[in-house]
Amino acid sequence: MTLLTILLLACITFGTRYLFLEGLLPVRLGSNIKQFLSYSGPAVLTAITMPILFVHTHQLDTSVSNPYLWGALAAIAAAYKTANIYWTVGLGTLAFAAVSSLHF
Amino acid sequence: MKHINIGVKVSIRKGVVDMLPLSLAVLPWGILFGSIAVQRGFSWLEAQMFSAIIFGGAVQIVTVELIADNASLVTVLFTAFVISSRHFLYGLFLREKLSPQPLRWRLGLGFLLTDELFALSGHRRAYRGRLRLIYGLAAGGSFYLAWNIWTFVGIVAGAVLPDLTELGLDFAIAATFIALVVPEIKTLATLAAVITAAIFSLLFSLWEFELGLVIAALLAMAAGFTVQQLRRAS
Repeated sequence: MTLLTILLLACITFGTRYLFLEGLLPVRLGSNIKQFLSYSGPAVLTAITMPILFVHTHQLDTSVSNPYLWGALAAIAAAYKTANIYWTVGLGTLAFAAVSSLHF
Repeated sequence: MKHINIGVKVSIRKGVVDMLPLSLAVLPWGILFGSIAVQRGFSWLEAQMFSAIIFGGAVQIVTVELIADNASLVTVLFTAFVISSRHFLYGLFLREKLSPQPLRWRLGLGFLLTDELFALSGHRRAYRGRLRLIYGLAAGGSFYLAWNIWTFVGIVAGAVLPDLTELGLDFAIAATFIALVVPEIKTLATLAAVITAAIFSLLFSLWEFELGLVIAALLAMAAGFTVQQLRRAS
């Protein structure tokens, strides 16, 4: 029974991922839809990132003692200056770790 | 022939390295999943199968609890569907690039199309040509391997390991996504999309609304699209 449930769940995750990659599916994307979809990257990634930064144990944390805030500011500055993924992750993590270790 | 092999190697290495912060960042969650599954009475094999064939962090952690609490099959499947619904966006976004590819590439990359692989798929020329397909496969495949190894560690050692989810490794996810989003903000329309996503994702997250991520993203895309249309009209 558990095995069947696992298989059905696998069908759901795979099905939702694969569906629109199938060319036989009769879906034509018009230019408006394509424009709309062109914002999906920044939209989805921002929507995943913000709660990681500011929602901790179900509460909004925008205090200056929040290390995620400082890490994010350093990462944004690095991304803006370098547009390089390694510099951004490196400098962001450094700032995050530095503020975390201060233990407000 | 030789330089083609070098190209393949470089693509594989770049895919693995670009994914590395994300592969490491999900370590606490993989371990958490493995350990919850075993604690809630699943066999080692069942727990590993979740990661091996379902391969979706949030879906796994939520459904393993639901199944253990004897929720009905319909509830379990519906919840998984709601959490997975954001994948439709990824498929639509990549449809033009991936739907003309041979079946084996579509199946492979489709199976590996997590949030993390989608994040690395934003390049204008993503998946154009063999090397960019190999890059995607290496990125997605290395993430799959990492997720399954972390799950395995959680299954065998979860009971003796502390909770690592408070360690802050998730900051690496945030930093990687910042690295991908910030250079994309070149127009007012994209800025509008990012600000809208930021506000609504925080609101929905505080409300603990399961569809929050998808709805926040759709609102943000609508904001970006609207600003673009207004600017074109004026």
